[in-house]
Amino acid sequence: MLSDCILIVCISICTAFLGEGLTWVMVYRTDKYKKLKAEVEKQSKKLEKQRETETNDRTQKKKLERQEEKLKNNSRDLSLVKMKSMFAIGFAFTALLSMFNSIFDGRVVANLPFTPISLIQGISHRNLPGEDYTHCSFIFLYILCTMSIRQNIQKLLGLAPSRAASKQGTGFFTPPTQLGR
Amino acid sequence: MANHPTKKVKTDGESAQTMQSLLAKAIQPEYQWSDKDEFLDVVYWMRQIMGLVLGLVWGFIPMRGFIGLALFFVVNVAIVYLYYSSFQKVDEEEYGGASEILKEGLMTSFSSFLVAWIILYSALYS
Repeated sequence: MLSDCILIVCISICTAFLGEGLTWVMVYRTDKYKKLKAEVEKQSKKLEKQRETETNDRTQKKKLERQEEKLKNNSRDLSLVKMKSMFAIGFAFTALLSMFNSIFDGRVVANLPFTPISLIQGISHRNLPGEDYTHCSFIFLYILCTMSIRQNIQKLLGLAPSRAASKQGTGFFTPPTQLGR
Repeated sequence: MANHPTKKVKTDGESAQTMQSLLAKAIQPEYQWSDKDEFLDVVYWMRQIMGLVLGLVWGFIPMRGFIGLALFFVVNVAIVYLYYSSFQKVDEEEYGGASEILKEGLMTSFSSFLVAWIILYSALYS
């Protein structure tokens, strides 16, 4: 059981590095990405600073709105640049995951110290025989490992999106917000 | 009280040296943080280590059931709260409210905690 767990941790470390490596080759090292990222970060920080000094001046508000629009466009472009690599990695990882899934099929890789809520049981007890819901499947442990390891690797390598940019909430999938209320 | 606004360190591409200087600042009481991101990085990494350590402790005791999950959140949030309000004495409003500091890296820390807890618990008690 312990060897399975260690193997899963190793698998998620490898896949996290592989994912980041692939993204680096396809996205992070390109000039377009670097330029856009620098631009978005600069604008987010600037906007954050300007928002702190609240103003009632109309022209100032208009200026802020224009800047926000520009920032939104830039972050949308940034997400689009990332998108194509995301799809490639998504496909590759789905194939890898189904391979590991078949290797660990029906195998209890760990015992959970708690009984998960019914919503989670579908994942934590996936393809496992019996009714003991403290039995943990491969996929549950793999997801947990990936959640913790990938994020930390991104952070260590300095590849995580900056706080200022994510705080502005100007990603591709975030709904537009109104300014100056 | 230490007031050394040292060079501004970029959060991108953090090297081992940056980590060391960050650690030195983190253990200094009431350090004047010139870069907000640096302080949030300290909270982030503190949380990750805490998640791992708590997971190992919970697995070793062994802690069982939802009380373990709840206790993790209580201990984790309480330590971060004490760290920023009593040890560093930062103004939480500068960071956009207490919730911004308290939720920094919480989910990642939670998953590290679960991994450590589950693995040690299964290794020792099953």
